[in-house]
Amino acid sequence: MTITICIGSSCHLKGSREVIACFQKLISEKDLAGQIQLAGDFCSGSCAQGVVVTVDGRDVYSVSPDTARSFFENTILPGLA
Amino acid sequence: MTIRGDCACKSLIKFREELCGDKVELLRTEDSYIMILADGMGSGVKANILATLTAKILGTMFLKGASLEECVETIVSTLPVCQVRHVAYSTFSILQVSKDGLAYLVEFDNPACLLIRDGSVRTIPFSCREIAGRRIKEARFPVRIGDTYILVSDGVIHAGVGRGPGFGWSWDNMAAYAVKQAADSPAASRIAHAICQAAWRLYGGRPGDDTTVAVMRITPARIVNLMTGPPKDPADDCQIVAALMEGDARRIVCGGTTATIVSRILNKALIPSLDFPDPDIPPTAHMEGMDLVTEGVLTLNRTVSLLRRYTEHPEPDEAFFIELDKQNGGSRIARILIEDCTDLTLLVGRGINMAHQNPDLPFDLGARQMLVEQLVHLMQAMGRQVTITYY
Repeated sequence: MTITICIGSSCHLKGSREVIACFQKLISEKDLAGQIQLAGDFCSGSCAQGVVVTVDGRDVYSVSPDTARSFFENTILPGLA
Repeated sequence: MTIRGDCACKSLIKFREELCGDKVELLRTEDSYIMILADGMGSGVKANILATLTAKILGTMFLKGASLEECVETIVSTLPVCQVRHVAYSTFSILQVSKDGLAYLVEFDNPACLLIRDGSVRTIPFSCREIAGRRIKEARFPVRIGDTYILVSDGVIHAGVGRGPGFGWSWDNMAAYAVKQAADSPAASRIAHAICQAAWRLYGGRPGDDTTVAVMRITPARIVNLMTGPPKDPADDCQIVAALMEGDARRIVCGGTTATIVSRILNKALIPSLDFPDPDIPPTAHMEGMDLVTEGVLTLNRTVSLLRRYTEHPEPDEAFFIELDKQNGGSRIARILIEDCTDLTLLVGRGINMAHQNPDLPFDLGARQMLVEQLVHLMQAMGRQVTITYY
């Protein structure tokens, strides 16, 4: 699975660095490095309220530093099976 | 041959003094670079006035095309006469290099100009003549790309005198040190900084004399093409990218949406990094054929602030170089622009980025236009040739 996080200007200001750091931490804690690749993306135009996160190039989500952990646990983890 | 001159200077003020008794003027004309170093007799206010007058008179008269005789005669008859010593005295050196590669060097009582060519010290053959009772050394010679010319005040070659045997650092030891520095870091400002630092250490942090270094490095024209912002009309995308790819230049793309356009037109993958060398600046990206790909406005804002710091304090300190050598996009652009760019081509798209039209954001992302204007102004103040095209 590839999780792409927007690092464009707007998403940067909304906290993409914190979102990436949170994902990186969870991936290493849960030992998922073999299953999940993180990638960056410059502005894809689908700017939303939060940081734009795309899963496998299809599903687009809006994630903030506050919701990053719950997004990972509730949306990413179930999709891994 | 068309050459460019990378000029910089740095001074240390004599211990317990507030003003420097050496003065450097770095000037540019349409077709040449001029570097003048004057060392006023004594130290403090008196020396400062003598040196400043000398450097300014020489600079102004040279710019207007006056002959050397006229310049020297004017100085001799204008400088205020010292009440104690009953002489009006300031040494000086002038180095003028034309963009077609010819140098004119004039020296009066200053340490000899150091030429570093192909990694070693070369002597510059000169002739002498007397003007208004002063013995003046003069030389005309062709320069070569890669040459480094260094003018120093005697405070440099005497650095450390009295703290050990001998008469201080000496010209030869200073020259050997400069050769090493020039090989390590070719930027004029870094060489000037390094020589001053060495003199500072030799003086034990208490310079016994005003100490000044002025460096001119001869480089080829180094062109940077920098593209930022999406064109107003997407039909111009091809044209702006074609302009970016033009010529033998370094290519910088500054902006996420901008980079996406370049990636699409050139059909090259855009690979953003996830490393944050600085928490406030988004990561850079990699694209084949580009020297640097960065985010736009936040990165440019950092670049502009570094350029401003450099132009406001043209004698940078260690802290500035540490900032400039950082790996964030803003520092990397600034370093290229300060140290590796003589001619800047700006390609600016004026399209409105919808993602930036958000009043909730803590930074006005619509500031691109203003940042570009500041960038142009700062680069021009640094003597770089700037052309700008809007799309």
